[in-house]
Amino acid sequence: MVPDHGARISVNHIKGEDYETRMDQSPHGAAQLSDDRDGPGRTAAMPMGFGGQAMAAEGSTLRVRSYGDMSTMDPAHSNGVFDEEIHASVYNKLIQYKPGSEWGWQLDAASMIEQADPTHIKFALRDDIGFTNGHGAMTAEDVKFSFERIIADETESPNKPDMGSFSHVEVTGEREGTIVLNEPFAPLWSIALPYITGNIVSKAATEAAGGRIGTDPAAESGPYLRASWSPKEKTVLTRNPDWKGDAPAWDNIEILPIDDENTAEIAFEAGELDFTRVSLGSVEHYRAGVPNGGTLVENPSLFYVWLGMNLDHPKLQNPKLRQAIQHAIDVPSILEAAYFGAVEPSTGIIAPGLAGHRQAGKVAPAADFARAAELMAESGETNVSLTLDVLNKTTFTTTAQIIQATLAGIGITVEINVLESGAFWDSGNNENLQLVLNRFSMTPDPTYATAWFTTEQAGIWNWENFRNAEFDQLHADAARETDLAKRAEMYIRAQDLMEESGAYRFITHEATPVVHSSGIIPALRPDGLTLLRYFGKS
Amino acid sequence: MFIYTVKRFALAGLILIVAVTAMFLMIRAVPGDPVSIMLGPRATPELKASLIAQMALDQPIWKQLLIYYGGLLRGDLGIDVFSGRSVVEIVFQQLPYTLEMITLSVLWSAALGIALGAYAAAHPNTMIDRIAAAVSVSFVAAPAFVVALLALLIFAVQLQWFPAIGAGEGFWGRLNHLVLPSFAIGLSWVGYIARLVRASMLEVLGEGHIRTARAFGLSERRIIMSYALRIAILPVVTVIGVGMGFLLSSAVFTEIVFARPGIGKLVIDSITTRNYPVVMGTVLVSTGLFVLSTAIADLLNALLDPRARSAK
Repeated sequence: MVPDHGARISVNHIKGEDYETRMDQSPHGAAQLSDDRDGPGRTAAMPMGFGGQAMAAEGSTLRVRSYGDMSTMDPAHSNGVFDEEIHASVYNKLIQYKPGSEWGWQLDAASMIEQADPTHIKFALRDDIGFTNGHGAMTAEDVKFSFERIIADETESPNKPDMGSFSHVEVTGEREGTIVLNEPFAPLWSIALPYITGNIVSKAATEAAGGRIGTDPAAESGPYLRASWSPKEKTVLTRNPDWKGDAPAWDNIEILPIDDENTAEIAFEAGELDFTRVSLGSVEHYRAGVPNGGTLVENPSLFYVWLGMNLDHPKLQNPKLRQAIQHAIDVPSILEAAYFGAVEPSTGIIAPGLAGHRQAGKVAPAADFARAAELMAESGETNVSLTLDVLNKTTFTTTAQIIQATLAGIGITVEINVLESGAFWDSGNNENLQLVLNRFSMTPDPTYATAWFTTEQAGIWNWENFRNAEFDQLHADAARETDLAKRAEMYIRAQDLMEESGAYRFITHEATPVVHSSGIIPALRPDGLTLLRYFGKS
Repeated sequence: MFIYTVKRFALAGLILIVAVTAMFLMIRAVPGDPVSIMLGPRATPELKASLIAQMALDQPIWKQLLIYYGGLLRGDLGIDVFSGRSVVEIVFQQLPYTLEMITLSVLWSAALGIALGAYAAAHPNTMIDRIAAAVSVSFVAAPAFVVALLALLIFAVQLQWFPAIGAGEGFWGRLNHLVLPSFAIGLSWVGYIARLVRASMLEVLGEGHIRTARAFGLSERRIIMSYALRIAILPVVTVIGVGMGFLLSSAVFTEIVFARPGIGKLVIDSITTRNYPVVMGTVLVSTGLFVLSTAIADLLNALLDPRARSAK
């Protein structure tokens, strides 16, 4: 179901058709998935982090760094990863991401979930999940309320697009219901259900709170409860005494918002953090040894970094010139100098492990200066001078300097504009934009990558003003396509079109290196983001 | 003294209005669509329109300013766009962390700086005076961010005497967490105050009433502590008042380096995300603090030295 090649999960009970459910099947193909929470099948598929769950000890505290502070306890208004880290621990979803190196999901609040047909998903809830503050057991009405409020206009949820073609939930029993889609929506299984919008809140508690949850939870149901929140300092989670599922390994989790990676590294080395993401520049240092017996884990990332060329700008109308720029940029040099050799070159906007990842791009990562010079000559352009806008981060300014130097080699003068984040992210309104070094984040579904490069997005987030009818169609069709292989082909073709336009030079997907102390077993998504409820002990 | 006090606070109020108005205009002049930045790429046009109306961004600037001042007069600094919390609540929740750090920095740096300066002045042109001068200038020259990082590496990582990050809990916990940040931002003030007190003391020690005191046979210790230092310390009061502003600026990087809560970190986060209400609330409070501290310093000066009052 999730966009991942080759990942498999064994399940204990297959209702309906007799086959082993593959994690790489489409939502449609993944029909009839059920789960025995304590059965051998589950144990066989036990991911990183689960092993420690049986080793819970009293008074234990896990201290992890988050790059931002919590802003709300309302999933409908979640501002992203730093909210979701907490929400995923104190709320339940029908399904959760599975920790490990391959994308997949596992049952959470659902005891059963099955794709009845391309637009209907049946589910049944476990009977042992209850909400705090006397709000009773979790019911299908809570699921209906949680999902439908995300798409309701009055909720004004910025996360509404994650729900895609979701229409409503039909409640068929106290703990049974059917999710109804307006049309097939493949990312339902990779984003809508296991991520931010999938969190189930208590209908009674939320309505009692006036329909909007603030910075204090109205009612929680997960393995942890939010014990306290000191803004900009610390969020403390504590074990939920009423949790009936697998016991979490840690009694308390302290989440410390630390902006600066160097500070986080110092805190880790001082023994004040058990887990933190580290800077790419520190990877070499930690490869030589992590202090205090800790471990370095290098995860790939879903981010994508590229050099974009504004197709609407008069200076960039010549396709040969754009191709010359593509061939002149030496990605390995950039990765060595700006990313300290800690990352791999990318082939497009879709990271390895996701459907549609290209094994190779049409332009090789290494520069081909001879070809670039040849294309430059063919273009007939001389005395070309261009501006390159970059964000004021060292990685990007270093990258820009390398691009500046390499393009000088084919006679292109580049002036670098270093911009503060607010100004940079408003570049869609900059008609004079020429070259831009950009980096977008991703959720684990390829549709989230292609969404920003459609004609509709031109001048908004599609700063290259890339307009291609075939690309637009592929983007729309792929979101509805439930056959993973076909879907992958569509996204590969979409990236080919992007590269062929000459408007893109793909650089890297970056990486998520993390370090952890010797006492813990981290539970991470394949892109290195934390799944705190599954963190174990060694 | 009463009229002087009224005039001084009227001036403080005027400074506050000018500073807040300037900041209000400046934050809106910064490039970048605030609504897109605040809501992110997934925001729908309807949601953007709603936020624009909520923040009155569809109104002319002068009207936005009037709305802001109207809210200010009612004690309403607005609502944080992201959390929906009151800006007053957010700012005043963060303010104590910054105030305690600045206060401790001022206290320890003033205490050590005055002692060092007074001792050097009492022993002019001796080896101790020269060492004190070298140490003072070194402290002044040391950039606070370098001191912060070195202090972290030595005292938190290597020796593990003090915590590296956070603000701590309970009195002793919070004090323990304040040691390194206040050391980092206070160190240069030690040198600065020491040099100031030394120069001021040398001037006072050459005055007639000190010579008279010596002629009466008073001990050198008593002359310095009871007569000279009281006068020599006056410039330090003014400098500390103005210095509060610099310490507030230092709080920005200190709170980031030590991952401490506080208004310095709050203002940086808010500017980056174009969270106008929080930016304005933070600027208002920090500017108010600066204006208040300089006003109090002036009043203290006027109280301690009648010449300062009449000079006004």
